[in-house]
Amino acid sequence: MINTLATVESNREIAPGYRLLTVELKVDLTVRPGQFAMLKAHGSIEPLLRRALAVYHVYGPRRLSFLYQVLGRGTEALSQLEPEGAVEALLPLGNSWPVEGSPNQRAIVVAGGIGSASLLMLCEELAARHVDVQLFFGAASKDAAAGCGLEDFRTLAVPLAVTTDDGSLGERGFVTAPLERYLRSGGGAGATTYACGPWVMMRRVAEISAHFEVPCLVSLEAPMGCGFGVCVGCVVAVKTGGPIGYESYKRVCTDGSIFSAEAIRWEVNAMSH
Amino acid sequence: MPQQTNHDPRLAVEIAGVRFNNPVIGASGTFGYGLEFAELIDLNRLGGFATKGLSARPLPGNPPPRIVETHGGMLNAIGLQNIGARAFINEKLPLLRRYATRVIANVFGYSDDEYVEAITILNDGEGIAAYELNISCPNVKEGGIVIGNSPDAAAKLTEKAKRASTRPLIVKLSPNVTDVSLLARAIVEAGADCLSLINTIVGMSVDVNTRRPRLSYGTGGLSGPAIRPVAVRMVYEVAGAVDVPLIGIGGIASATDALEFIIAGATAVQIGTANYYDPTVTMRVLDGLSTYCQGHGVESVSTLVRSIITT
Repeated sequence: MINTLATVESNREIAPGYRLLTVELKVDLTVRPGQFAMLKAHGSIEPLLRRALAVYHVYGPRRLSFLYQVLGRGTEALSQLEPEGAVEALLPLGNSWPVEGSPNQRAIVVAGGIGSASLLMLCEELAARHVDVQLFFGAASKDAAAGCGLEDFRTLAVPLAVTTDDGSLGERGFVTAPLERYLRSGGGAGATTYACGPWVMMRRVAEISAHFEVPCLVSLEAPMGCGFGVCVGCVVAVKTGGPIGYESYKRVCTDGSIFSAEAIRWEVNAMSH
Repeated sequence: MPQQTNHDPRLAVEIAGVRFNNPVIGASGTFGYGLEFAELIDLNRLGGFATKGLSARPLPGNPPPRIVETHGGMLNAIGLQNIGARAFINEKLPLLRRYATRVIANVFGYSDDEYVEAITILNDGEGIAAYELNISCPNVKEGGIVIGNSPDAAAKLTEKAKRASTRPLIVKLSPNVTDVSLLARAIVEAGADCLSLINTIVGMSVDVNTRRPRLSYGTGGLSGPAIRPVAVRMVYEVAGAVDVPLIGIGGIASATDALEFIIAGATAVQIGTANYYDPTVTMRVLDGLSTYCQGHGVESVSTLVRSIITT
């Protein structure tokens, strides 16, 4: 983990409301799939807190990108960053997607909306290790799918099922529908599900995976104060097998952001999303 | 053994018989157990830090959501999730003893007896410089009363804590009172060696779409630059009311901010929320204080304490 000033190489809109921020670091860094950074425009006062963004792609030891949706004050401020601008960055943070890497492994990857940002590096890693990957990619619309990096996922040339809420691309509806059909037809044998997306989507993916006895991993999101474990603000409720105690709340930033789906108490955290 | 670090001798301060290499202290609740910062700053340079509030037994804290950002600050209702005093001694203190920074154990309980119990446990720990009594956390209530908002209840607890403690006792004041000087005097008369102020200001934020509070606890403690003028005013008032050293807290993010508190009456300062958005802020403040001393011909930062000119 380093705290540094990164230089903005580009910050371009790839679809309305979606941007790709590419930065150059001053030192070499190893980033594993699923890790994230806390980012803020250098010298900006408002908003106060840095924003957690998943590392989308690594181009080399000093060059990496973040795919993000402009949703609130923090991402709005990031969207104003210009090339050559400076961005305060704390990274890499969080655990990473566990990749077994044996050729016999099978992976089902479920991306919902901008949750895709946490999954491209995972898919690249799985593909590099010749793991059999089935990808489910859901977005609100055709434009949103483009903004969520659909073309980058297409270049991986893995089996891909696309859904959109409005039917403007692929199957109309939620991404969980083709996932469920896939698992019902036996696609889950020997596989692990990796999911990142809206809370309700991940909760449903967890239910479906559990129903078909497929291990499921999720990368969670939560409002974060610090990103490195000190504010204890980003917790998620987890199952402990006992009454509420010290072990009942885990920090998304340092205990996660990737958790086993069966450990999460999905109903407790619902109001936070 | 802690490694040698060059300290600016002008910045050394003493609080209740404890020497700090400088007046820059990480604030409780924003500095974890200190070790989280070891990768990011030189802990040996840091004057000290106050631990996350420690209770006699581990506490789970409040359900999420626990934080929400506001303009110039943030609300939190963490609920004092902590590993407990015993685990702190066994798991954290041995590692902290490698560093030259002063460790202040922030102590919390749901009753007077629980505070005394936590202190009694911590008395066994080697490497704690002082205790900071957290009587002002707005995010935990027992029977609807926050001890720190009542001068009588606060004095009674201070007396018991002081009797149980083998170390200097700092009491952290609540700003959520009508007259902070009255509260301060009662606590000092009960035996506090030092006061730290302010804790967070109780606030609330509402999601207009769901019409629910944004925090699961409903209300939360406001921190960050937004509260600084309130905190400076309270330090100024309390400095005129009591004779013990004060530690100023509230939205400090620069050396200038820290100096405001020192000039108003604080011997040292704690930096809180700024650690979240700049984990190296303590080092920046430290360097800035040296620069100020150099530029203003100040031989000791102590001479600035309560040097405010109001005429």
